[in-house]
Amino acid sequence: MPSRTKDILIWITTFMIMLIICMPGLWIILSAFRTNGEILTKPAIWIPETLTLDNFRAIFGYGENVVGVPVASYFRNSIIISATSTFLAVFIGMTGGYAFARYRFPGKGSTFLWLMLSRTVPGIALSLPIFIIWSRMGIIDTKFGVILVYTAINVPFTIWLTEGFFRQVPQDLNEAAQIDGCTRWEAFWKIEFPLAKSGIASAGIFAFLTSWNEYALASQLTRSTDSKTLPVGLMDFTAQFTIDWAGMCAMAVIIIIPALILTFLVQKHLIAGLTFGGVKG
Amino acid sequence: MAEVSLKNVVKRYGALEVVHGIDLEIAHNEFVVLVGPSGCGKSTTLRMIAGLEDISDGEIAIGDKVVNMLPPRKRNISMVFQNYALYPHMSVRENLGFSLKIAKRAPEDITKAVDDAADILGLTELLERTPAELSGGQRQRVAMGRAIVRHPDVFLFDEPLSNLDAKLRTQMRVEIKKLHSKVKTTIVYVTHDQIEAMTLADRIVIMKDGHIVQIGTPLEVFERPVDTFVAGFIGSPPMNLIEGSVKDDHVVFSDGRSLPVPPDFTGKIANGRRVVFGFRADVLMPKGHTLAESGVLHDIDLTIDMAEPLGSESILLTTLGGQDIQARMHNPRPVTSGEVLTCELHLEKCHLFDADTTQSLRG
Amino acid sequence: MSRFRRTIRENAVPFALISPAILVILIVVLLPLLFSFYTSFSNYKLIRPDTLWDWIGLRNYERIMGDWDFWVAFGRTVLFLTVALNLEMLFGLGLALLVNKITYGQRTMRTIMMFPMMFSPILVGFQFKYLFNDTIGLVNNALQALGITHEAIPFLVDRWWAFFSIAFAEIWMSTSIFAILILAGLFAMPKDPVEAAKVDGCSNWQVFRHITLPFLMPFIYIAMTIRSLDVARAYDVVDVMTGGGPAGRTELLWTLIARTAYDDARMGRANAMAYVSILLSIFFTWYFFRKLMDARKHLGAF
Repeated sequence: MPSRTKDILIWITTFMIMLIICMPGLWIILSAFRTNGEILTKPAIWIPETLTLDNFRAIFGYGENVVGVPVASYFRNSIIISATSTFLAVFIGMTGGYAFARYRFPGKGSTFLWLMLSRTVPGIALSLPIFIIWSRMGIIDTKFGVILVYTAINVPFTIWLTEGFFRQVPQDLNEAAQIDGCTRWEAFWKIEFPLAKSGIASAGIFAFLTSWNEYALASQLTRSTDSKTLPVGLMDFTAQFTIDWAGMCAMAVIIIIPALILTFLVQKHLIAGLTFGGVKG
Repeated sequence: MAEVSLKNVVKRYGALEVVHGIDLEIAHNEFVVLVGPSGCGKSTTLRMIAGLEDISDGEIAIGDKVVNMLPPRKRNISMVFQNYALYPHMSVRENLGFSLKIAKRAPEDITKAVDDAADILGLTELLERTPAELSGGQRQRVAMGRAIVRHPDVFLFDEPLSNLDAKLRTQMRVEIKKLHSKVKTTIVYVTHDQIEAMTLADRIVIMKDGHIVQIGTPLEVFERPVDTFVAGFIGSPPMNLIEGSVKDDHVVFSDGRSLPVPPDFTGKIANGRRVVFGFRADVLMPKGHTLAESGVLHDIDLTIDMAEPLGSESILLTTLGGQDIQARMHNPRPVTSGEVLTCELHLEKCHLFDADTTQSLRG
Repeated sequence: MSRFRRTIRENAVPFALISPAILVILIVVLLPLLFSFYTSFSNYKLIRPDTLWDWIGLRNYERIMGDWDFWVAFGRTVLFLTVALNLEMLFGLGLALLVNKITYGQRTMRTIMMFPMMFSPILVGFQFKYLFNDTIGLVNNALQALGITHEAIPFLVDRWWAFFSIAFAEIWMSTSIFAILILAGLFAMPKDPVEAAKVDGCSNWQVFRHITLPFLMPFIYIAMTIRSLDVARAYDVVDVMTGGGPAGRTELLWTLIARTAYDDARMGRANAMAYVSILLSIFFTWYFFRKLMDARKHLGAF
């Protein structure tokens, strides 16, 4: 095959694949700016006649057609829950990851394996006992209850990632710092932490996204506007008799945007973290 | 200003003992090299002196202070690591000044100390660069600069030259030697390269399997190895070692050939004793290609398998007693494979070791 | 006892460092799982708390063993995972090889490839529910406008179309994990073995089959391991797309658990099912982790 034809084929295939990847999201975003009437029209209107911000106003409780879904509260809950659980998971993951990267201790291998295995438990399976226990403890339908759960499900992964990033920092830097007069604690903060910082940040972003996107557990552990997160809130729309597609699309955009920005920030480190953690062992 | 003394120092990992009770006295300003094959415990010993490893038993003192329980930062030592361990996120200047900054010294003092150290090592031009922008040799120099900047009691070197190519290694060896004469500090240096040990050390400590085998000046360990291990480890090419049994003051080898025992041993070794006969390539030379030397010479005909010309001399590969051995040929001429040459062996410079204990039979 | 205390003392620092992680996993994962293990032997119903102490032995397990709906859902789940994981791997491999060939715009493509991975599963489900809708969905509208069909295709209603739709959503969401990790493998791959093989007279296909693919296998297994950690994310997708319906036609193990537990309030039985689903997840993860370890040994040759 002449290389010219081959190049063109590669480009066409690539274009098709990118279309499949991008199209659904773009269509949602476009729909978020259209009116419900236009979306429902038959036969379909392909080129929107008007673009409007009304859907966004509506879900945040402004304008004429206010939606009965308190998206603003859900948004606030999502931010609080995701940020707090991320902070905790990164802190716990960082101390744990450091121990696994730097110390030898009995039971190290099996502890690591069990921590990782805890991540495999399906959210919905885990939700059953937690639902019962949290109810009895009185932390069902509270932000605290969800934060606790999200911290735990993020810890194995942050340990895995940070362990990998700390292992990238040569052990003798820490030793050199101790000989230069640092305590072990100073050696960590002045040498190892600055070098692993960007990796730890990406572990944090990944944890944030996991919490931000989680549905199976939150759908059972939250009931009211005090604790419901955005993914759970999205289902509020389907409970109504007619589906408000435009409203759902607008809410979907609210959920997507932080995820897209964070993905963009984290991509390089995440790939590095996932691969060397696994391959170089 | 400090001696280093190790008394019966032991290192165990769980049930596994890797260093078995080492005793070593290092004098003030002495340059001591710990040498041995990998896994012999030399690095562990160095790291115990540094305080990077706990000691399981015994006592380590620096100066007149026992430092067993002191963390590295309180021992006033500095260390050059095998991979340099430069802080990648700091400039050369910050790397050099880091220990002084931790010690909370005044900024002007730090600048002055760093400039002085940079001057000694020729780093002045590189001060504002980061380690990633330096070549291997330059990184090595920064690592040494970081060690000298705070005038420690003891310098520790952990195989510092093993990551450099051969040419740079020779060059840095000279620099380390010069550095020692300039800064006058006790140095403990670990290497697996016996040439480094020979060229640098005031005294060499040869280690094997967690024990010290021999301590001595480079010439002592070269000329009077205590056992076959040291004999084979020190010197290049390694000492020829051929096993045989003694009969009437001759050592008879498995192929039936024999050599007289060295003069010191004449009449002292019982018939039938199993021994190892040892001599260096330098003391076995073809007639007409020797260095003018007098002494007790013994002629022996050897079939040459191959010659490795090195220019001013050739190394001859041959066999004796079923062993491959090497001889040295000065003012070489081409030698064909299979040629038989009559060689002279300087008997006084030969060694005898016990075949079972491997120990030297010299008192 | 003294040996135990010595172990603790000698390793005080690492133990202290990992203890928060252990503690939080203990509270949120291990204890609840022990509790649910107990409830799986009880006749616990959400609406009657006292039934928690109603020990019925293995009866929940016997019930689900003889429950046709459970086995259908179980079989469908295994089929779904097999189809989805294999296609994700193949598409991911293809996509990675393709992007590796491209020189211009490669970074942009890598970034775009990452986006589906970061989408909330619930959003993925919603977006395909919207696209595959039989009256207003983009896909049906497009097919009809292009004259390919006249009738709307019941993507979310028909048994096999619905299976296709949820599998499509799952594959759309997770192919990038494979593509990205395999691409990282391609970037890390040393050139020498490939060149040596070409000198030895291998065709392009043989080079791929005998050099490239073996090198990529560990990366494929890492992706599989990571992926198998959260196979249950499919619950979110299916819950929003079809809710397991209509009439149980897209019921997976996880949606069945949710329905049994919360809609039917049969916690005991749901917990028994949940244990089956946990074992399934652990099996997948363990299987691929073993494969990864084996593949890593071979990688040493490179």
